[in-house]
Amino acid sequence: MLLEQLINGLTLGSIYAIVALGFTLVFGVLGIINMAHGEIFMIGAFIGVLVTSVLGLPLWIAFIAAIAVTALLGYMLERIALRPLRGKQGVSHLAPLISTIGVSILLENLSHHIFGAGNHPFRNSFAEIQIQIGSITIYIVQILIFVISIALMLILSYWLSKTKAGKALRATAENLETASLLGVNTKRTITTTVIIASALGGIAGILVGMAFNSVNPQMGLSMGLKGLAIIILGGMGNVKGAMAGGLLLGVAETMIVAYGDSGYRDAVAFITIIFVLLLRPQGLFGKNTSEAGR
Amino acid sequence: MLGELLNPYHLQIASFIMINIILGISIYITLSSGQLSLGNAGFMGIGAYTSALLTIHFELPIFIGVILGALVAGIFGILIGIPALRLSGVYLAIATLGFGEVIRVIFVNWESVTQGAVGLSGVPHLGRELFKTVTAMGFEPEMLGLRNNQVVYLMVLTLLVVINILLIWFFIRQNKSRVGRAFAAIKMDEKAAESMGINITYYKVLSFTQGALLAGFAGALYAHVMAYISPADFAYHRAIEILIFSVFGGSEVIWGAIFGATFMTILPEALRVISEYRYMIYGVILILMMAFRPQGIIDVSLLKWIKNMIKSRRRTDHGTGTKKHN
Amino acid sequence: MVLELKNITKNFGGISALTDVSFKINKGEIFGLIGPNGAGKTTMFNVITNMFLPTSGEISFHGEKISGIKPHKITDKGICRTFQNIRLFSQMSVLENVLVGGHCRSNSGVLRSVFRTKSQRKEEANTHKVATELLELVGLSNYEDVIAENLAYGQQRRLEIARALASNPSLLLLDEPAAGMNETETENLFELIKKVQQRGVTVLLIEHDMPFVMKLCDRIAVLNFGKKLAEGTPEEIQNNQEVIEAYLGSEEDDQIA
Repeated sequence: MLLEQLINGLTLGSIYAIVALGFTLVFGVLGIINMAHGEIFMIGAFIGVLVTSVLGLPLWIAFIAAIAVTALLGYMLERIALRPLRGKQGVSHLAPLISTIGVSILLENLSHHIFGAGNHPFRNSFAEIQIQIGSITIYIVQILIFVISIALMLILSYWLSKTKAGKALRATAENLETASLLGVNTKRTITTTVIIASALGGIAGILVGMAFNSVNPQMGLSMGLKGLAIIILGGMGNVKGAMAGGLLLGVAETMIVAYGDSGYRDAVAFITIIFVLLLRPQGLFGKNTSEAGR
Repeated sequence: MLGELLNPYHLQIASFIMINIILGISIYITLSSGQLSLGNAGFMGIGAYTSALLTIHFELPIFIGVILGALVAGIFGILIGIPALRLSGVYLAIATLGFGEVIRVIFVNWESVTQGAVGLSGVPHLGRELFKTVTAMGFEPEMLGLRNNQVVYLMVLTLLVVINILLIWFFIRQNKSRVGRAFAAIKMDEKAAESMGINITYYKVLSFTQGALLAGFAGALYAHVMAYISPADFAYHRAIEILIFSVFGGSEVIWGAIFGATFMTILPEALRVISEYRYMIYGVILILMMAFRPQGIIDVSLLKWIKNMIKSRRRTDHGTGTKKHN
Repeated sequence: MVLELKNITKNFGGISALTDVSFKINKGEIFGLIGPNGAGKTTMFNVITNMFLPTSGEISFHGEKISGIKPHKITDKGICRTFQNIRLFSQMSVLENVLVGGHCRSNSGVLRSVFRTKSQRKEEANTHKVATELLELVGLSNYEDVIAENLAYGQQRRLEIARALASNPSLLLLDEPAAGMNETETENLFELIKKVQQRGVTVLLIEHDMPFVMKLCDRIAVLNFGKKLAEGTPEEIQNNQEVIEAYLGSEEDDQIA
């Protein structure tokens, strides 16, 4: 029973980790919190619904479509809501936060209008297939989600540490001006970052659709807030912290539901935010700098 | 004559404008010391539930309930405001957003007290209670040629207008004083303010608590104007709405929040089409404002311009007046 | 004796910004703190105003130990400063900036301010009077309603001094007051600091403009790599072999760089 819950928690947590990676990449490079990330994730999930349930196409096409659409959304987000504010005199550091909140409620209500408020089923051919190992039941979907998530994390880590574009991204995250002096095209790096982060959100959307078989316009908000909780837990802009934090939150939530009061499941994330910010603003895995939390 | 003009529905909208202005001031006052709190929907909820529960279960008079609701929200403001001092900018915004969500989750789950997601109905209605009082004193609506429900809503609105005038007066005076200057100094440069002998801790907690108190006050009034509250009334969307009041209207001056709250309440009512797309339009407004006018519609220079306009108009009026005499 | 620093050491991580620095400032004098860039001068200001806590050492002000109390309390006790990279309240008017400076010399809270009690009005009038006087002193009387960021550079520096004086300090710390000023502005500043001294305020200043420092200061301390190199009258400092070497050395470095 405990082991089964642990597997459920890790599945959920691996999706959280993917969402949180999107947040943390954008924060690392731009120093801003993309409040629209949750809604981009939600759009990804709806693309999945459209492709698999409405059009009846196979799952892999859903992935490609979701990546394409959310990447485009990321590009538009950067052009419309972020770039106009950058380097402008007298713009408060809260401005990007507020304008991405604007994008988030625009997207949420847009999809509310298009798809309606209710839950949409997410069909896939192997949703019910399960394996019995001893007394433990594992669904194939869970394994698939876990494998995809881990693969994504590995690819992202490799890309960040080994490729030229990834190195440019890390240099920009370290110090934008220095990176620019060193010949990094920071404008392009920033756009790339937002696009990749958004595409990660889109993939996570499909994974959630597969895991819970239901998609609705409000799911972006709660996922967005959880993603925030995770990057605060793992340390802002910290890639490994986002992965670990995501898994941790997934397991914690599953345990609350299994052994506590399921109504408070969503509160776990928010209480985490408050406590971590107050007790250890640099996050569980962050470096201890006096500037953290400032 | 008066009886035909006073549509209870319009009176109700006007009352909402008044409540929203209080909410607008609540986010403005916290921002005036440089802190962005997205938790005001949560404080509003605390005020609303406190007052509603006290008046329902203990049959306290509404005005005591409202004051206690505001005070409890204010106490939560201190409790959150002190640890939140360590945070600033986006971190504070997120922590307060998290606080608001926690409050909402508690309202949903603490069913024995809050009735959960269903919400609390049968909250004593401010207008009807006032009506009972005045009729007990011998007043009859017919004396003014009004129907009963017109008087009910009119009294609520009148009371709220008086409250608003007092609040605006209070905060304008505070702004022009030593306290207001300390808030502004902290907002502009915290280190320099500290070097000038300003106790940062005290003033930041003070402005945060004032914001919480006001939001709780507005929430308590809301509960007694609506006579029904549910956790959804104090969720994320409410927090965004309050943010819009200040971002759209202007976050530098108190008139910005007042204008923003008024405009944003009338807009969806005036244009039904807009009402349906309300939140989408909110989203677009936030994006456009940040790109083109981050300080909001009303800012210091616009206010100065308006003042000069009024002055010069007076002068020309005066001028034509003397000409006539000649 | 106004200020006494005893064996001040300040480390950041493993790096020592100040090592065992001691000096005393007498009442009414203008004391200069000089040294090459990175010598620890501004760190010293931050330590005196308790923005940073010293790693070790002791500071006393008018014979009272002040290490460890909050920065705003330091201002209350009578030490106020200006900043190397001007930190005015840039969107406030000139007058409002100076009014903020008077914060710790007044005490009206929310209620007294809102209801404008007699004592509050008296206090406010007094704060205004002091502010107007100080603006006259620094020559900004005609700029009261100008927004601070619209002032010329030299005017901003003078406004910062007026703002600091509004807290009625007995010790004024000036961090490179002449930086970026032209010759006339520097001359005006010289007169201003002399006037401040005549008001009975002790002045401690950091400055790179050597002729200015030598002409203005009664005594000077030299910092180099966080250590006190020398202390004395301007003549003594100008003739001190170590100081000359430190400065020549740093100049040579500059030329190489």
